[in-house]
Amino acid sequence: MPAITLNRDRFCSFLDRSLSVEEMAKWLPWLGLDLQNVGPDYVKVEFNPNRVDFCSYAGIARAFKGLMGWETGLPEYNVKKGNITLNIDSTVGEVRPFMLAAVVREINLDSEVVRELMEMQEDLHWGVGRDRKKASIGVHNLNSVEPPFTYTTGEPDGVRFIPLDKMEEMSLQEILEKHEKGVAYSHLVDWASRYPLLVDRKGEVLSMPPIINGELTRVDDYTKDLFLDVTGTDLNAVVRSLNVLVTALADMGGTVETVEVKHPDGTVASPDLTPEKMKLRVGYANELLGLRLPDARVVECLRKCRLDAERVNKGVLEVSISAYRIDVLHEVDLVEEVAIGYGYYRLKPTRPTTVTTGQQHEMNELANYVRQIMIGLGFTEAMNFILTNEDTQFERMRMEIGRVVRLANPVSTEYSIIRVNLLPGLLENLSGNRHESYPQRVFEVSDVVVVDEKAETRSERRLHVAGVSSHPTANYTEIRSFVEALLTNLGITDYKIKGVDHPSFLEGRVATLTIKRKGRGLLGEIHPQVLNNFELENPVSAFEISLEEIK
Amino acid sequence: MIELRGNEQKTLLALQKLEGKGQVDQIVEISGLAHAAAMRAALALSTKNLIQINEQTQTIVILNDEGKYHAQNGLPERRLIHALIKLGGKASVKETVKKAALEEKFCTIALGWLHRKGWATLEEKEHLLTTHREPSVGIDEKLLDLLREKGPQVRESLNKDLQKAIIVLKSRKLVETDEKTLRELELTKAGWELVEQGIEIVEEVSQLTPDLVHTRKWQKVKLRKFDVTAPGPAVYPGKIHPLQQIIQRIREIFLEMGFTEIRGSIVQTAFWNFDALFQPQDHPAREMMDTFYLSNPKTGKLPERRIVDRVAKTHMDGWKTGSRGWQYSWSRDEAKKLIIRTHTTAVTIHYLAEHQEPPAKVFSVDRIYRNEKLDYQHLAELHQIEGVIMDKGVTLRDLIGTLREFYFRLGLKKVQFWPSYFPYTEPSAQSTVYVPKLKTWMELCGMGMFRPEVLEPFGIKYPVLAWGGGLERLAMVMLDVDDIRFLYKNDLGWIRRTPVCQQ
Repeated sequence: MPAITLNRDRFCSFLDRSLSVEEMAKWLPWLGLDLQNVGPDYVKVEFNPNRVDFCSYAGIARAFKGLMGWETGLPEYNVKKGNITLNIDSTVGEVRPFMLAAVVREINLDSEVVRELMEMQEDLHWGVGRDRKKASIGVHNLNSVEPPFTYTTGEPDGVRFIPLDKMEEMSLQEILEKHEKGVAYSHLVDWASRYPLLVDRKGEVLSMPPIINGELTRVDDYTKDLFLDVTGTDLNAVVRSLNVLVTALADMGGTVETVEVKHPDGTVASPDLTPEKMKLRVGYANELLGLRLPDARVVECLRKCRLDAERVNKGVLEVSISAYRIDVLHEVDLVEEVAIGYGYYRLKPTRPTTVTTGQQHEMNELANYVRQIMIGLGFTEAMNFILTNEDTQFERMRMEIGRVVRLANPVSTEYSIIRVNLLPGLLENLSGNRHESYPQRVFEVSDVVVVDEKAETRSERRLHVAGVSSHPTANYTEIRSFVEALLTNLGITDYKIKGVDHPSFLEGRVATLTIKRKGRGLLGEIHPQVLNNFELENPVSAFEISLEEIK
Repeated sequence: MIELRGNEQKTLLALQKLEGKGQVDQIVEISGLAHAAAMRAALALSTKNLIQINEQTQTIVILNDEGKYHAQNGLPERRLIHALIKLGGKASVKETVKKAALEEKFCTIALGWLHRKGWATLEEKEHLLTTHREPSVGIDEKLLDLLREKGPQVRESLNKDLQKAIIVLKSRKLVETDEKTLRELELTKAGWELVEQGIEIVEEVSQLTPDLVHTRKWQKVKLRKFDVTAPGPAVYPGKIHPLQQIIQRIREIFLEMGFTEIRGSIVQTAFWNFDALFQPQDHPAREMMDTFYLSNPKTGKLPERRIVDRVAKTHMDGWKTGSRGWQYSWSRDEAKKLIIRTHTTAVTIHYLAEHQEPPAKVFSVDRIYRNEKLDYQHLAELHQIEGVIMDKGVTLRDLIGTLREFYFRLGLKKVQFWPSYFPYTEPSAQSTVYVPKLKTWMELCGMGMFRPEVLEPFGIKYPVLAWGGGLERLAMVMLDVDDIRFLYKNDLGWIRRTPVCQQ
């Protein structure tokens, strides 16, 4: 989750009051912010991805003022009609079709603000833009270029400009190949024949969205007026990114002006900060929260969350949602706002009246019976990962590689498949415990996953039990006694033990187990080559039984 | 009365026979005790001041292989002088050697010793040996004979001459010496008094046997007393894995609270793991970076078309749920992809879709997967605790109350609930619990009420309360483990040491 560090003094300047870090730490979590750490003069919090509007001091401050009751209801944003035009060329349609823009004037930038602006940009790219794919933001010094602006496309080798943080002109192609941002984001445009470009009246390049801005419009402490652009492949994401950014800048003291965006199908004034409207049934909110709040109280709670509501009927409110609140999808989201405005700390715990009896799952019940018997036989339980690798599962066991569920993106070669047998894991456990006293008797009762084409998930989860006994005189007779004790105590009498050949076991000292004519199992003395493969010195007798057929 | 064990009594009696003094070997011979048993008894008797152990170091002289050869055939210089006399007292070296049939390797040594012992003179020019008479037998030869005839000898028991001969033969590398400590036992005054009173031997046994019991022979024998303070050898019981113990405790709590356990597939389609839970297909959590996809098998089956279409529409425009939806074009292929589940909620929603009659109270404590590099605080495979209640009229306050009860039963009595966010619940909350052991608050379970966008496509009509959290974080605190990987290391020493009773 993204984090923001709130310096106390700066945060207080947004609140117009004085607050201690302890007070900040006490109240910020009630907004849904996750406290990371509290310093002598700062509080670091993480915010959830649904509330990207918390990516700035301004965003958190306006919510905080609401929660404390210092300033409630919708924050007001005055958007002046501006006279700057942005033309959208039809050629952008196939590569990155949408662009919206805004002008923010008379903003007081210091290096702290410039840094925050960049962090907001990054958070929005992550939280809304899906790493610039759906939307990306450009912030420009308006005074170094001449409107009107045009969002168009350029030949990869035809246009050259100086990208941010560079000294020399580069072609669009060179930027994609050499500039660090170009390399990182080239996949967003490199498949197109022409690349997106934002230019001014004279053809000077403001940026190459969504890759890099031009050095020409670099924003610094002396910048007074900003031109904001957001491009993208998803109009919703573009609108939301712009709204969050513009409202934060307005709260920071900027004056917002519209840009006339002319695209082939028509003209819009951007940004549009008109609040959205959504109905909320008070009964619905009370029902979910377990409260009995009257309409007026619900309105008050919503206002504390910087929303507004009007009673349109008895028990029905029309809620106004600020443009930066991009997380409200459904009436239920307003219910949570009511809860936050009410205060989670005020919610008294109740117990549901639902009466039910508990029941364990039959396979886990069986697993517990098996545990009980194995422990009675002196075995200690191991718990291994079901993720493993072919080397352990097959090669070290002298087995042919079988059909297994395989990961497409394993985190390491050590964990690349799902086990089909438990035994190899237990041999690994013995290998890791050679320094411990013998006899060592270890078992595991857990899952394996086998491929099954007929199943919905093309695989089947199966419960197995396996055990190993290791000491200088471990042998077949011993393990057979253990297996028979296990089966007898599980109440299974219908089973057959028959000699078989198996590469993991010594010839003539290995048998299959058939339970109720279909269950499968294997028992025997582990082959000395397998012992060598696992670097084991003591003989090991072992068994493994599938428990699926036993239930 | 001094308490004596059987072996001690036997040792005393043997010493009495030996008139109060004897070597351990002699005791062994007379008493019939094993050497080690006799030694143990002797030590015990000496601590009781009944005997005194006199230690004496002895040097044993023994022939080596070359020594044995010369003891048999005579020293090489003796063989030469013998041959020379046969040849008339004067002969060339060559002739003498031939006559003596002396092996070539001994020639130089033999000539050297002839000279040293002054038995013959060697005329350099002509290589002629001259002697006058056969020399008498030297002490070195006497020692060789003695060793040949009587075997190894104790140096200290030989006369001075023979003791000197040992040095000579040792320097010629014909004998070896070995030091040995001899222990002689001697009755003390108290010992004598005791044996004179008379010792009656009672058979002493250390192990009560079935035979002794049923023949009633136990009445006649003496059962040896043990040193009950002596430590016994370590034994280890078979045991449930400590992590499993915690799982069982949590399962018990759920069962006590009336929950039914559910268990589902570890491999899931993205549909049940994500789409069914209203997680948009471009959600970062669905990326390869966070989720393990399968390369084989690659895709699974989707449920019936009607259900899939509703889920698809809900994602795209909200369908009839009243939601705006995520406003994108939903892909069946993406939903068919197989993954290993990132949460057990995939199983929960599947269960609820099939069990819509209220009430449902279900839980699971089961394995989940995250594409994480393993380090001391991250695992790719871990356990999720999950509880769910579906019933008419259940509320967020009920959820908080249920969690409070759940934690209380785990021994966690101070709990706080905060607003939070999860893609498939609204309202959502996060809980922190106070862990007295660590004297700190810890984040544990997240929770919330399933969104209408999750419930309505499956026709689930009643509110669903759900909470979930990681088992391992809790286990680390309960088991005092600070590296999460250790929980799955199966360190037998740790499992053997960890008490079954956890607080």
